[in-house]
This record gives sequence, structure tokens and C-alpha cells, in this order.
Amino acid sequence: MKNNWFHRYTGVANRGMNPKGFHVSQIKFYVVLVPLSALMLLPIIYIFSSAFKPPDELFAFPPRFFVVNPTLKNFTDLFSLLSTSGIPISRYLFNSILITLVTVAASIFISSAAAYSLSKKRFKLKQMLFAINNVALMFVPIAVTIPRFLVIERLHLLDTFWVHILPVMALPVGLFLLKQFIDGIPDEVIEAAQIDGAADIWIYLRIILPMIQPALATIAILTFQAAWNNAEISTLYINDESMRTLAFYLSTLNKATTTGAAAVAGQGMAAAAALIMFLPNLVIFIILQGQVMSTMSHSGLK
Amino acid sequence: MTNRREINLRTREALNGYGFVLIWIVGFSLFTLLPLLETLRYSFNEVTVTATNINLEFVQGANFTRALFTDPNFVELLIGYAIETFVSVPIVLIFAMIIAMFLNQNFKFKGVFRVIFFLPIVITSGPVIRELTAQGAASAPGVSNIPAVVEFLQELPRALRTPVEYLLTSFILILWFSGVQILIYLSSLQKVDRSIYEAAAIDGASSWEIFWKIILPSLSTATVVNAIFTIVTLSHFSENHVIQYIYSQTYNVQGGIGYASAMSFIYFGVMIVLLVVIFLLLRSRAKRESK
Repeated sequence: MKNNWFHRYTGVANRGMNPKGFHVSQIKFYVVLVPLSALMLLPIIYIFSSAFKPPDELFAFPPRFFVVNPTLKNFTDLFSLLSTSGIPISRYLFNSILITLVTVAASIFISSAAAYSLSKKRFKLKQMLFAINNVALMFVPIAVTIPRFLVIERLHLLDTFWVHILPVMALPVGLFLLKQFIDGIPDEVIEAAQIDGAADIWIYLRIILPMIQPALATIAILTFQAAWNNAEISTLYINDESMRTLAFYLSTLNKATTTGAAAVAGQGMAAAAALIMFLPNLVIFIILQGQVMSTMSHSGLK
Repeated sequence: MTNRREINLRTREALNGYGFVLIWIVGFSLFTLLPLLETLRYSFNEVTVTATNINLEFVQGANFTRALFTDPNFVELLIGYAIETFVSVPIVLIFAMIIAMFLNQNFKFKGVFRVIFFLPIVITSGPVIRELTAQGAASAPGVSNIPAVVEFLQELPRALRTPVEYLLTSFILILWFSGVQILIYLSSLQKVDRSIYEAAAIDGASSWEIFWKIILPSLSTATVVNAIFTIVTLSHFSENHVIQYIYSQTYNVQGGIGYASAMSFIYFGVMIVLLVVIFLLLRSRAKRESK
């Protein structure tokens, strides 16, 4: 009995007993998890509350966490500024949505196909390719922006939609995580399919992809954020204003208003813009987290 | 006859393998590998950009010696980064492991908690963290001003003061980096066959022993993956001071692209060293246990 608490915490006890309801013995989980989850929710509450803060609360010292007198002024300021810009906001929004969707779909497909090959296929360069990927994974991305610019220029991709998508399609992080997950799929599953005469493409589509769904959803969330929040590509590789993204546009607002009297209104607008940029991330997260959580693992073999 | 068939099969397997990875190789070499090699070349050159083209002037290791011995800020920033990483990585790993073990239990609203602890994935990238750090809310500035804490820090030896202060002020920030790590731990916890626990329990193993001898070793791959992932996310985090410094030097008249490239490679080297150290620590512990 003396180690009972530990039994429960480490998954040793309770096995096979999926509690249908609440029981007093579960209280200890809530005691630990509720405060910690409050900690996890803080930033999100903060970003919502600061978007509705009037100026005096934004600059209050010490900073206040919750908004006391919520106001929509930040949003009305932001929208009135948006309506004065030369290019309609819908243009930026459309660019952002299109680019993000294509990037997420393409990068999931490319990374998972590559990860399947590097994890389960046998060929010579396999180890080396993964090693190169890991090296690239660690390299500071900003250091390669200028050489990357030259490559893009030589390929005549400047000022095209492709420049938003192609460079971020084969990201090392995606391959790294997906390969780890595919490594976890037992070889027997694939061998069984091969014996049944399944071609590689079907093994990939029908077996690998469904089994790594949680990982795919995770990568989708990560790629979505990387693409949606990317202002850098618009700054560096695009000169045509109508091809730039919403993230870029909102980031210029912050810069333009950081000096002088406009700074006060700027802070408020920045908070409102941050909330607007953040909301799609949250929506995607809520849509995809079900995928991540429900099919966490089903190895199919015992 | 059998020999020829063998080769055929193997070639086909290899061809299929290359087929799946081909698009990735093309994209990767064009937009990541090629620029990376180019950066390596820049780091040994003085790079000047004119309106029409880029001029390179070979300067041997001058950029590297300048970064390491002349630059007043860079080495200090690197040391700060190394200390922060060394403090953060174990905290993220331990926190993620504990939370994953909790979330592997059965209790009501388990699903809700899993979602909440996965939330950091949308916090640490993008506008949220930028806004938070801009407002100074990511660190807890109040903590380091509390008299008792100040006194406590004064008492500590110099070498310990920075890590402890960092730990106190950025504890929450560190925890926000654990979303994906919790997920990875959770998925490998669920791969452990429950009958192993049963067998161990029947053999009279205490749960403490079960944790050290079964759970921890079965999480060792996940731990290495998590360590790499944590180091990478921490190091590429846009509010990271070293990154910001390199970025500022790239477009600086006195710095320039060559110098920034050299600094990137030094930073990269430090990162590799950190990874190797943490990897060796993890492995030596795993070895001791297996004895």
C-alpha cells in the first residue's frame, strides 16, 4: 500500500479500468493538473484581454492581467486605418489564406512521403539524407535568407506566388518529427501488406498515413502557423504590394506607429492585430486537436 | 537465377525509396542545402552587396576570430544562451514527462486536459509570444525584485546566480515550450505493453522500480527526440537574443553578411556541442541503469 500513489501516477495501477464517471480517488489529478493548465491558458487569456484594453490599462505599471474596462476602440482604430490603405485588406487576406492552404497541404504530403521512405525503405543514401536533414534542422534559418534570395532570383521566382510556398515546403522539422513517428510503426504491419500484394503507394496511403494521423495533425498545426505568420518572405522576396500577406501588412502597422503620439494608439492596434492574427491559429488548433488526441496510438500488433 | 532476382528486388526497393523522397530532395537541396553551403562560403569572405551583384573577398578566418575575440557582445550572448538552454532543456523534459504520465491515467475530463497541455504549440510561435514578450509578460519581472529573492541571489556563488535568476524569472516561459514534447512522451507511453507492468508487478517490483526499470528506459528514444526538438525550438525562437544579434549584424554596415554567416556557424557549433553533451548525459544514465 505504501507506494500506492505512485502506482496510480505512473500508469501501473488503474489499468483496464476506464472510469466512466468521477470518483473521489481522481481528485489528486485535478489538484495537480488544474493549476498547471491554468498556467497554460494564461497567454491566451492575456492576448484576448489586452486586445480590449484602453490605453491607460495597456501602459499601466505594474502590468495588469485582466482588462477592467473593455473597449472596442483598438479594433475600430485598426479598421479605420485599414480602410485608408491603398490595397484592400481582402487582397492580403486572400493571399494569406491561399498561400497557407497550399503550403500546409504540400508540406504534409512531401514530408510524410520522404519520412516514409527514410524510415522504412532500404537504400544507400538513406542515413546520409537524414543526417543532412538534422544538420539543416539545427542551422539558424535567418543566416540563409540572403543565399536563398540568390537562388530564388536565379529561378526567376521573385514576385510570384510560388516564392511564398516553395521555400517553406520542405522544412526539416516536419521530416524529423514524422520520421520518428513512422519509426514507431512496426515493420510487421508493412510486411503483412507486402505479402498481401500491396504496392508501395498503397502502403503509404492506406497504412502509413492513417497510422501517423496525430503526427500529421501536429505538423499541420506547426506548418499552418509558420505559413500564416510569415511576414519575412513578403519583406524579402516580394516587391509587388498586391502579392504580400496579411502577416506582413499587420507587421508594418506596428513599425509605422512605434514613434511619437501615434505609439499610444499603435500599442492598442498592435494588440488588436495580434489577436486577429492569432485567432486562425486557435481555430486550426481546435479543429485538428481532435485528430491528435483521439488516435494517439494504435500499433495494431500486440 | 536467384542472385539476379535478389538484385532486382533490392533495386526496385531502392528505386521506390528514392521515388518517395525525390520531391523532398529537390526542394530541400534548392532552398535549404544550397543556401547553407553558400553561407559557409560567405563566412570566409568579406561580403559587399552592390546594386547589381555581390562581391566576395577572401579573408580566411577573420570573421570567426572577430566574432570570438573582438566582438564585445557575441561571446557573452552565446554563454547566456548556453546557460539558458542547459537550464531549460531538463525542465522541459521532466515537466513534459510528468504531465504525460498524468495524462496517461484514467480520469474524467482527461481529453480536456490533454488539449490544454497541447495548447503551447499555438502560443510559442507567432504573434502571441511576440506580444507577450513585448509587454514584458513572458518573464515574471516582479519575482526578481522581491527582497527575499534578491537576498537569496546575492548569497549564491557567482556561477550559479545567472542560471537561478533565469530559472526564477522565466519558469513559466520554459513550460510553454513543452506542447509537442508532452505529445511525443504520451504516444510512446501508450506504446508500452501493459502486460509488462503486470508481469513486473507479479514479480514483486515496486512501482518505483517499475518507473526506473520499465517506464524510463522505454521513454529513452522519446527523450532524445524531445531533447533535440527542445534545443531546436529554443534556439530558433524569434525572441532569442543570439538570433536577434545575428539578424541585426546582417544588415549592419560594420557587420555584413560574411560576419553574420560566421556567427551563425559558431552558433550552430555551440548548439551541436550542447546537443552532444545532453545526448551523452542521457546515454550514460541509460547505460548505468541497464547494468
